[in-house]
Amino acid sequence: MSKLLNVRQAHVRYPLSGHLMARLTGNHQAWVNVVRGVSLAIDKGETLAVVGESGSGKTTLVMALMGLVPLQRGEVEFESKRILQGPRGRLKPDRRRVAMMFQDPVGSLSPRMTVRAALAEPFEIHAPEVKDTGAEVARLLDLVGLPVEFADRYPHQLSGGQARRIGVARALALDPALLIADEPTAGLDVSIQGDVLNLLSGLQKRLGLGIVIITHNLNIVRHVADHMAIMYLGQFVEQGTSEDIFRHPRHPYTKALLSANPNPDPDAQSARLDLAGEVPSLLNVPSGCEFHTRCPFVQTDCQESVPVSREAAPGHIFQCHYPLKED
Amino acid sequence: MSRAKLLRPDGLLISTWRKLRRDPLGMFGLIIVLLIGVLTVFAPWLAPYDPNEVDVYSRLLPPSGDHWLGTDQLGRDIYSRLLWGGRVAMKVSLLAISVSMAIGIALGMLAGYGPRWLDRILVVTFDTIRSFPTIMFALAIVALVGSSLNTVIVIIIIASIPIYGRVVRTQTLALRDRDFILAERAMGASTVRILFRHVMPNIAAPLFILASMDVPVVVGMEAGLSFLGLGVKPPTPSWGSILNDGYSYIRNSPWPIIAGGIPLILVTLGFTFFGESLRDIFDPKLRKKG
Amino acid sequence: MSCPPVLPVLEVDRLSVSYRTERGDLKALRNVSLQVPRGEIVGIVGESGCGKSTLISAMIRLLAPNAQLDSGEIRFRGEDLLSLDLESMRALRGDELAMVFQDPMTSLNPVLSIGRQMRDIQYRLKESKADKNARSMRMLEKVGIPDPQARLRDFPHQLSGGMRQRVAIAMALMMKPSLLIADEPTTALDATLEVQIIHQLKALQAEIGCSILFISHHLGVIAELCDHVVVMYAGEVVETGSVREIFHSPSHPYTRMLLACDPGGITERTKVLPIIRGFLPDLVDLPAGCVYRDRCDMATEACAEQKPELKDLDGRKVACLLTAESL
Repeated sequence: MSKLLNVRQAHVRYPLSGHLMARLTGNHQAWVNVVRGVSLAIDKGETLAVVGESGSGKTTLVMALMGLVPLQRGEVEFESKRILQGPRGRLKPDRRRVAMMFQDPVGSLSPRMTVRAALAEPFEIHAPEVKDTGAEVARLLDLVGLPVEFADRYPHQLSGGQARRIGVARALALDPALLIADEPTAGLDVSIQGDVLNLLSGLQKRLGLGIVIITHNLNIVRHVADHMAIMYLGQFVEQGTSEDIFRHPRHPYTKALLSANPNPDPDAQSARLDLAGEVPSLLNVPSGCEFHTRCPFVQTDCQESVPVSREAAPGHIFQCHYPLKED
Repeated sequence: MSRAKLLRPDGLLISTWRKLRRDPLGMFGLIIVLLIGVLTVFAPWLAPYDPNEVDVYSRLLPPSGDHWLGTDQLGRDIYSRLLWGGRVAMKVSLLAISVSMAIGIALGMLAGYGPRWLDRILVVTFDTIRSFPTIMFALAIVALVGSSLNTVIVIIIIASIPIYGRVVRTQTLALRDRDFILAERAMGASTVRILFRHVMPNIAAPLFILASMDVPVVVGMEAGLSFLGLGVKPPTPSWGSILNDGYSYIRNSPWPIIAGGIPLILVTLGFTFFGESLRDIFDPKLRKKG
Repeated sequence: MSCPPVLPVLEVDRLSVSYRTERGDLKALRNVSLQVPRGEIVGIVGESGCGKSTLISAMIRLLAPNAQLDSGEIRFRGEDLLSLDLESMRALRGDELAMVFQDPMTSLNPVLSIGRQMRDIQYRLKESKADKNARSMRMLEKVGIPDPQARLRDFPHQLSGGMRQRVAIAMALMMKPSLLIADEPTTALDATLEVQIIHQLKALQAEIGCSILFISHHLGVIAELCDHVVVMYAGEVVETGSVREIFHSPSHPYTRMLLACDPGGITERTKVLPIIRGFLPDLVDLPAGCVYRDRCDMATEACAEQKPELKDLDGRKVACLLTAESL
């Protein structure tokens, strides 16, 4: 069965500026590897959540998929066709078929452009044959449940939730097959977070969209994503269906993340998995299993050898020498 | 989100005008700017005398009913000469500022948005030009090509490009990594489209302020060069040459030099107050929500 | 045996603050009353527009120039904070009254070393530099910073975000203040880091015996850390009570809906997440009656006419006509 999006061993790196950097860090690396071999696949009508904390590389991964930063190594197939790379290593996806929503809802809209102009942008760039952009703008506003009067508003006159919806509308303008959403609930009050997520899943049902959600908010992943992947220091440490992972996480980091977002209940027993220290710098990735410096169950071979990918159940993959047993 | 946001939004011009109205110094500046504009544009009709009309019997007269600001050493009416000199000043500043701003914007956006190596070359170029004392630079050019109004304009343009270029570069750099620019790139917008439809409108405000504050500087440069004899050739009136004349005859009468200084003071006050008021209006607005 | 009532460390008494704007007075706080008992942790829960920033600004006397105090008092250990002169206010800050903000760089001076800043806070003590450093190092250890001696020589930019926030907390609690005001201190941090810091904060509070006023919109953190909770909506206090009462049996419809919307509290996987419909009321042109009625699922006609007062209900306080009636 052909997948909507298929990524194999993606690597992204950033150059370290100048020789001074090399002297200071004591190593003569010219690059810092931010995404270190990521593979994922997603089908039409499915939602994949990429979960990770700061420094995991999750945003860099999708920026590379969108061609905003160069992809150093790896293959990406979209709708069964290989996406080609430009001269500077940037992927060139068909931007009418893949769309992205950025983290800052108001900040992703051009400050001096009205909502109408912002929604007409995709047409002006890719579909200049569409003369009546006004009709399209009205259709898009209706799609996201906003009254047509909003077309005259400027970004700074929108609330976070409204700006978020405009972002969705703009992303869906040309009827893409895949939508990438970077932290769609960031900056939104809890009482309206559900709004954007409900909107996305409703649209997914109607339009058969594939959705990739980048988030650090595990609480929403359970409800919104069919599949999830946990990212740490540039790699997926565990991936599978949300149900499998929530029920029985195998990797200690997954468990730590799950237990760090507790049920707000003052009496809840905290079956918390505490992690030691902080995320190591990408300039100094620990040897062997990169998580060993913080793992509460670390053993000697964790430091020495990199764990291989194992399958707990079909589609549920993890990398750990000593996976967690069911409790 | 409150219901207040459902009211119709105000356009940029209207809200700027409302805020300007409340700032007394800004309004004062605006009035002077408009006054200078009217006087210089309508100088041929407003000047009571021909600026070059010599009347040796009336030399170095103090201000009177006939000659509002007195006469200079050749009996020419200073008021009329100042009006016509104003035309020179305004012509130079409008032309010089528009051209240097246009070139500065183009180079600045290239530096801010383009590859790092291009940025480095442009920054070094800008800084090199800026580090030259303008007068030295002017002397060198004039020595090569002789003095004239056009030479003055070219000198000022070259000296001003780095100022606009630097500001545009900084603003472009700041915008480059903003989410909305990334969003445009993600949509597949071309670099040209991004620069003109998304970067330019967002850097326009500081540029207008800079241009407004630059007018007195340019006028001063022109006056200075003319004062030194490097600018317009006599008898064409220029504020600088009028000052020079007044300076030469200061022992005979103080009036010419005082009168010669007035327009420069007015231009500086007017444009600076107006520019600062604009800056106060735009700065907080750029940071806060509407 | 009955004990004489101990004066609460902080008491906000019917505080009303409004901002002068072009359209009229924006009534940001209306008759807000709350108490922080000695040695206890009180959490303020509320979403955007609830007035918590205005409340904090009023407490530390940093209100915007267009703010005006309409009525009320803020009593710190019995003294009215709002009428203190700036000299006395300065004497209080850092000694009896300490603060931690969302961005640690609000408290940290970028050009001074950590050691220097921590010594500066101890300026009132007549001790040697070595003694002051020793105290600083003990505090740094207590907040979980490894190798405190080396950290004293570091500058803020050399530390990660999480470390900086720990330092900010250490600095705030070093002089054992009576009250610590913490405004969203962990909101910008990753979840695993957040739980570590909350733990340390709780341990420190038990050791020092200070009171904490903790503002956050992370319900899980509030549930875990706080003894009492104050719920605010659109500039008013709608409910207060012990943390158990609020989370297990919320009385006010807003509190109920807020808890229902928190995805962490929803254990069953659901495709459609609950939200609170509607918008915040216009704070310049307030509607009559209850401020929450437009969004309330239980609103009656009386709610549009009569404004509910904060009434006692078995030791807690609720501002709702419907719950008062059912007493």
